Amino acid sequence: MPYLGSEDMVRELRRALSNPNVQSDHLRYRNTILKVVRAMSQGVDVSGLFSEMVKACATVDVVQKKLVYVFLCSYASLNPELSLLVINTLRKDCQDPNPMVRSLALRNMTNLRLPSLVEYVEQPLTAGLRDRAACVRRVAVLGWAKLHKLQASSDIDAAVVNELYSLLRDPDPVVMVNCLRALEEILKEEGGVAINKPIAHHLLNRLKECDVWGQCEVLKILERYRPQSEDELFDILSLLDPSLLSPHPPVMAATLSLFLSLCSGLPAASLSALERVRGPLLAACGSASREMRFTALCHIQLLLRSLPGLMGAHYKRFFCGYAEPAYIKQRKMQLLVELVNDENVALVLDELKGYCTDVNTDTAQAAISAIGRIGRSYSDRCLEILTGLLGLKQEHITSAVVQTVRDLVWVCPQCSEAVCLALEGCEETVQDSQGRQALLWLLGVYGERVSSAPYVLEVFIDGLRSEVSPGVKMELLTATMRLFLCRPAETQDMLGRLLHYCIEEETDMCVRDQALFYYRLLHCGIEETRKVLQGRRSDPSLGVLIGRPAEPVNQWARSFNTLEPLKQSAAETESTSGGSPEPVTSVPRPNTDLSLSSLSPSPVDKPPNGVALCFLLLGALEKAEEEDYVCMEEHVHCPAPPRCSPQSLQAALQLVNVQTLAFTPPQTLPWRVYLYTHTRNTHRSTLILGELLYTGEERVKKQPRDDTALKGFLSILATVLHTLSSERA
Amino acid sequence: MIHSLFLVNASGDIFLEKHWKSVVSRSVCDYFFEAQERATEPENVPPVIPTPHHYLISVLRHRIYFVAVIQSEVPPLFVIEFLHRVVDTFQDYFGVCTEAAIKDNVVVVYELLEEMLDNGFPLATESNILKELIKPPTILRTMVNTITGSTNVGEQLPTGQLSVVPWRRTGVKYTNNEAYFDVVEEIDAIIDKSGSTITAEIQGVIDACVKLTGMPDLTLSFMNPRLLDDVSFHPCVRFKRWEAERILSFIPPDGNFRLLSYHVSSQNLVAIPVYVKHNITFREGSSQGRFDLTLGPKQTMGKAVESVLVSSQLPRGVLNTNLNPSQGTYTFDPVTKLLTWDVGKINPQKLPSLKGSMSLQAGASKPDENPTINIQFKIQQMAISGLKVNRLDMYGEKYKPFKGIKYMTKAGKFQVRT
Repeated sequence: MPYLGSEDMVRELRRALSNPNVQSDHLRYRNTILKVVRAMSQGVDVSGLFSEMVKACATVDVVQKKLVYVFLCSYASLNPELSLLVINTLRKDCQDPNPMVRSLALRNMTNLRLPSLVEYVEQPLTAGLRDRAACVRRVAVLGWAKLHKLQASSDIDAAVVNELYSLLRDPDPVVMVNCLRALEEILKEEGGVAINKPIAHHLLNRLKECDVWGQCEVLKILERYRPQSEDELFDILSLLDPSLLSPHPPVMAATLSLFLSLCSGLPAASLSALERVRGPLLAACGSASREMRFTALCHIQLLLRSLPGLMGAHYKRFFCGYAEPAYIKQRKMQLLVELVNDENVALVLDELKGYCTDVNTDTAQAAISAIGRIGRSYSDRCLEILTGLLGLKQEHITSAVVQTVRDLVWVCPQCSEAVCLALEGCEETVQDSQGRQALLWLLGVYGERVSSAPYVLEVFIDGLRSEVSPGVKMELLTATMRLFLCRPAETQDMLGRLLHYCIEEETDMCVRDQALFYYRLLHCGIEETRKVLQGRRSDPSLGVLIGRPAEPVNQWARSFNTLEPLKQSAAETESTSGGSPEPVTSVPRPNTDLSLSSLSPSPVDKPPNGVALCFLLLGALEKAEEEDYVCMEEHVHCPAPPRCSPQSLQAALQLVNVQTLAFTPPQTLPWRVYLYTHTRNTHRSTLILGELLYTGEERVKKQPRDDTALKGFLSILATVLHTLSSERA
Repeated sequence: MIHSLFLVNASGDIFLEKHWKSVVSRSVCDYFFEAQERATEPENVPPVIPTPHHYLISVLRHRIYFVAVIQSEVPPLFVIEFLHRVVDTFQDYFGVCTEAAIKDNVVVVYELLEEMLDNGFPLATESNILKELIKPPTILRTMVNTITGSTNVGEQLPTGQLSVVPWRRTGVKYTNNEAYFDVVEEIDAIIDKSGSTITAEIQGVIDACVKLTGMPDLTLSFMNPRLLDDVSFHPCVRFKRWEAERILSFIPPDGNFRLLSYHVSSQNLVAIPVYVKHNITFREGSSQGRFDLTLGPKQTMGKAVESVLVSSQLPRGVLNTNLNPSQGTYTFDPVTKLLTWDVGKINPQKLPSLKGSMSLQAGASKPDENPTINIQFKIQQMAISGLKVNRLDMYGEKYKPFKGIKYMTKAGKFQVRT
């Protein structure tokens, strides 16, 4: 922020700097330079003083030197010619008997970052590598990395690289680590430092001497090394074992990451390593720093994917404190959902209930949806809490509750009774479009049981002109159509008005298309309409598997100790704090990039009946997101339906990356399983949704959009089913 | 690794920047400001913000955001820990880490940052070594410097960097040889309405101030070492020895350092040193509410509970309070609705209480939830976990050092729900 009078200030400073009286009194001289640096840090443009400052550089006073260097490094790129003048002084300083001065000169020489100066810098740098003082070597080593960055195109001097490799054996641990860092940068194109057996063992042995930062770096680079024998592997593991319990979370995380990469072939060893770090991770969750707590929570989430029971006894550690920031609270709630079991459910729900009235709306909404997730296994208790919350008549709470309830009834149809009772009166409080969409969906599907449903819809239809969200309009169309089917007398008139408005006056193409579609559908007769609209509801006999089975560690090991697990949350908080909470996906799986919203129980009636009609419906509703849906039926030949437990089928399918959503209990007919998977090619990804249906013959319905993926999926599925049924036979 | 560092104050001004590689334009912080605006509270800014070309990893301490600009994938814990180390160093140097202090000492700040990172990699972060490179500013030294023209910069190469034991410099000499240890425990607890404990855990640290000549080798043993769940040590502690014998054996750094930090979780029963009797009610329809709070000591082994401070964020509907403390003073801020009651010391014979009424906005409905009460307190001469040091021995040097151990318990995040 250059403020008024900065020119005067520069002029004043210049006069002072070139005043011989000031120059002769080194205290005054230094104070003037201090003023310049201060002005610089305030954002005043003092680049005009460059030549004066260059002169000030030639001094024996170390402080003055440092100050001038701070100035020069900031403005050198603006004055490459004048910077040449400094080089002489710097090179002279490199010969100074005091190692401090030598390292200072060397560091600043490389910090000028001027390609034109490279030729003058190389010689002192080479000398620096062989300096007696470790601190000079440290700087010199990194200096080569900086130099390389300046002239990245030119070839690397093999002699320098060799010298750096030999410096890995330097007695000073910082020089060793800096060598690694420098080589990583210089050899980036060749994949970084080459780690062979002697180097790896040398690094491992000296790990203890390094500081925290060095240890992290060494551990990370060692991930590249593959031990040649089992014995060697176990030697390394036992050498690393104490670091797993390191006091410093970064070292602990880096060690675990190395452990996981070394043990990729030994699942048992990696699981026991996870057990070992439980203590340190929990301690990090209680650390004084919020950011540290947050990062630790994110990593625990990763760990739980493989060891769901890891934190079972410690669920209380994830209760939120009053003054914690929202991003931590939301993470903790996600963790609590994972940790619920029969013993602690009452306590956890009580706790979550307290968060629902949080001042922060995002936190409140996150708490409500967390209760909804728990509701899938403990529906009665959760519904009680959720309906109780409706009584508060708070806009954001009601909206979140309605959305949560919508997702819940799809999975647990047995709750619909209670939900219908609670819906009365909600329409006055719900204001945002997501909430209203959810309310409309519920009214459409359970309209016959909510006595006031037609009147609520009428209010919506009357206010249609002022409605801005196309989503709400489309949902309104579907809901009114559905209600018309079960309560025609009350709804006929308003449906007419609605369709008329949407077809004649609506400007949004999607809404208009959908209205036209319904209009034509009604022409086909009431039976046909019923078949399309009341397609299929969720099956009350479907049991949803709550505890998802443990994933192999390798699935996430690569993203451990990276920004990956944190990033996601950033996206989530963004979307929720943006004002419109995303519809809660029915199966939140932290690592599936594909939007699963098509899986959520929202408007799309999942397994469709008529192929052509359904395509139209989906195309209209999902708009830009996924344009080409194809529905088809395929027969999978399999001698007999697998009569194994749902868990083993799920585990078997998971091995081939097929995820199961829901099951009917075994031995029922028709027996079904809903499943999905997605393949990812270089340029596009395909989501396959499938229903495995056994009515006496086996077949699969799914909605794929590329043939190769479909074929692959079918063959894999057939193989799994064959294996399972032959096992049983 | 760390490309640049921006220091941003609560009002969203960048007041210091430092670049270790090339200069990153200030405009990268716009993404940060965006997130800052979106967050309702200053602490709600997410610690990691992705931007198209960089990641911004930030840490909020003392109302200053330390924003690190990262260009490639890094271990997040590493960066966060490093940023905290930077703040700790500033605090160590200037006593406080405020915007004013940083601006006043801008030159030392630049010097420190320059020494702590080179080319984005951490270089010297041990405060022992840094202090030899750059002497911390003190009033006396500033005066001496102005008169004699000497500087804050060490002219000699720090010897610590060349010693066999990296954390201790060689040739230390003291006339009085002394070793003090402070066992400080913070109790974090959430107590529910009925007075039962929801969670309670203890975060403990042992801070040491060791001023011993030469290369002493110390051992410290506890009466009840099994108490400690998660222990993390200063790098000087020999871990093998701890695992085998539960004895701390170490060559200490010179001066102040944190020997270990530990954690006692709810698995071991945590004693709660104070109890609260409360009765906070709002009646439907009336514009009055009752407020009644009594504090008392519990399980303190006869030690006095001191410096008690109660604070509570009352609901928005409360206009004012009319309360009567039996001791201490209380304040209520009608704007932020923050009630604070400075109790002082709890006298077990005459329990402190705060009673009276609250006036509510007329016509407003009854607040949804009762306020949470935060309590701060201190208990001297006691470690609430029951941890006790058994003995401290010194080997390797001939003299007899003076030894001292102090215990203290403090409230960390101690909340009572009503």
